[in-house]
Amino acid sequence: MVQRGRQGRINLPRQIIIIGANAAGTEAAAAARKTDRTAEITLIEQRKRTAYSRCGLPFVLGGHIPSFNDLVVYPKSYYRMMKLNLRLETTMINLDTKAKTVAIQDKEKKQEILNYDSLIIATGASPFIPPIKGREKKGVYVLRTIEDGESIDQALKTARSAVVVGAGLIGIEAAVAFVERGITTSIVELLPYVLPVMLDEDMAKLVQKKLEEKGLKAILGRGVDEILGNEKVTGVSVASEEIPADLVVIATGVRSEVELAKKAGIMTGETRAIKTNMRMETNAKDVYAVGDCAESVSLITHRPLLSQLGTTAVRHGKAAGINAAGGYAIFSGSLGSAVSKMFDFEVGATGLTEFMAKRVGIETVVGRINAKTKASYYPGGLPIRIKLVVERETRHIIGGQIIGGEAVTQRINALSFAIQKQMTVHELAKADTCYAPPVNETWEPMVLAAETALRRLR
Amino acid sequence: MVKVNHIEVIEGLYYTSDYMWIRIEDGKARMGVTDYAQKQMREIVFVELPSVDDTIELNEPFGTTESVKAISDLIAPLSGVIEEINEEVESRPELLNEDPYGEGWLVVINPTDLKKELEKLMNFEKAVEWYKEVVKEE
Repeated sequence: MVQRGRQGRINLPRQIIIIGANAAGTEAAAAARKTDRTAEITLIEQRKRTAYSRCGLPFVLGGHIPSFNDLVVYPKSYYRMMKLNLRLETTMINLDTKAKTVAIQDKEKKQEILNYDSLIIATGASPFIPPIKGREKKGVYVLRTIEDGESIDQALKTARSAVVVGAGLIGIEAAVAFVERGITTSIVELLPYVLPVMLDEDMAKLVQKKLEEKGLKAILGRGVDEILGNEKVTGVSVASEEIPADLVVIATGVRSEVELAKKAGIMTGETRAIKTNMRMETNAKDVYAVGDCAESVSLITHRPLLSQLGTTAVRHGKAAGINAAGGYAIFSGSLGSAVSKMFDFEVGATGLTEFMAKRVGIETVVGRINAKTKASYYPGGLPIRIKLVVERETRHIIGGQIIGGEAVTQRINALSFAIQKQMTVHELAKADTCYAPPVNETWEPMVLAAETALRRLR
Repeated sequence: MVKVNHIEVIEGLYYTSDYMWIRIEDGKARMGVTDYAQKQMREIVFVELPSVDDTIELNEPFGTTESVKAISDLIAPLSGVIEEINEEVESRPELLNEDPYGEGWLVVINPTDLKKELEKLMNFEKAVEWYKEVVKEE
């Protein structure tokens, strides 16, 4: 076993402090422990509950997961086994990167100053609530924490109608859950189509159609003018139309929690999140930033990217944890690959959309195909639609979007690998794939999509 | 064998709170990790064991188990000299998950102070009581 100690004070265990104990923070702690078996690792978490899957919240609301407690990924016994010092209901109130100390305060307002050799900032993000009139009313919620989930769950028990503001992934997942609970639900989105970050308009229209078939009403290209009701919400006003609602969920994105870090002189970037290098180091010595409060780099444009996904958080956390404990690891960047399931269909995307590519000045050619998930004669095959985005000059695949009844996730992963390896659309059209009637067509739909893109390049 | 919630506890073994079980066989001690430990660790992917003739000391780490999510020291429940190690678990660490009290055994030692050190370990009845407390906390 390698014994690593503090530089110059080899007999003292390394002090690693992690601010925030959710996806990125706990992953960092685990990686740090695997790297340094003797370090003292302390996690500071402002909430009572920790290390649960936020991504699972809408699926508890929809009744797919029995209880919110099932979302806990790391029970208390895990921290004991890993010899991690977990301090709940405690907040960081000051950071001094010169003295290498953090000031913390527990729920009894008791303050303490801790020294660190390495500090990992995993303070996450908070819901951004646009300044809509009436947003303070009772019955207006956000869906970020397990506590938010429990409040919404309670409200759903008596609610008959709901409005979700924001048609990103969280907004749609919440709205789908409400419909599944038998509640009349509308989703309002300022932009002209759903999932505007993940999808192009052509693909989004298909998602919208499928959502509406299941009874979710989509009001697009419009903002909420006002949340109506006296003390308690009774509805929202959209383009002078009144939509009744017993509860309103605002899902218009999150903002990185970076105030204390900024005050301590830690630099943020154009995404308003903390800037890091590939080792997740900030501009302050021995200070790392991970998860929703930290920037990533786009593997395609090489520009800063805010990838507030669970997959990114754990990759940040693992790299920072290893580095903070004296090891070496890098996080090379993100494609923002994401997937979800809505009612009975799956939606996934990776890389750039056609729209985003244009916005950053990339000329594209696209390939599209409608196919089936099984051989055409095999009963039960489900429709799947694939869109590929290709850079015109290099012919590299730079994006993919898929909507289908099944088998979307692993195709998105395959396209993600293709993009990371800078595969050309020509190579994808010649790719070796597998087939059997109950599970795929003889011609893999991704290969067919590549062929349609190639035709446009001739 | 009894089950405390989902945790299996076997009669005739001794236990530590550091996730080890011990079986006394003709004055030698065979040891491994408990069912509780393997369930906490989940998929174990790496086991690091000492070598034959190495000395291990009570309450000191003598090896490591590592899973996808966790890493844990093997803390010696007894002092002694390693007589035998289970080479099979080094190449197939999943045996710790599949059969923690059987094929997933880790080492056999020749204890140096068995009588005195054994008193500090939990027997089956005590372990069952202890696991009942552990389960309550989760």
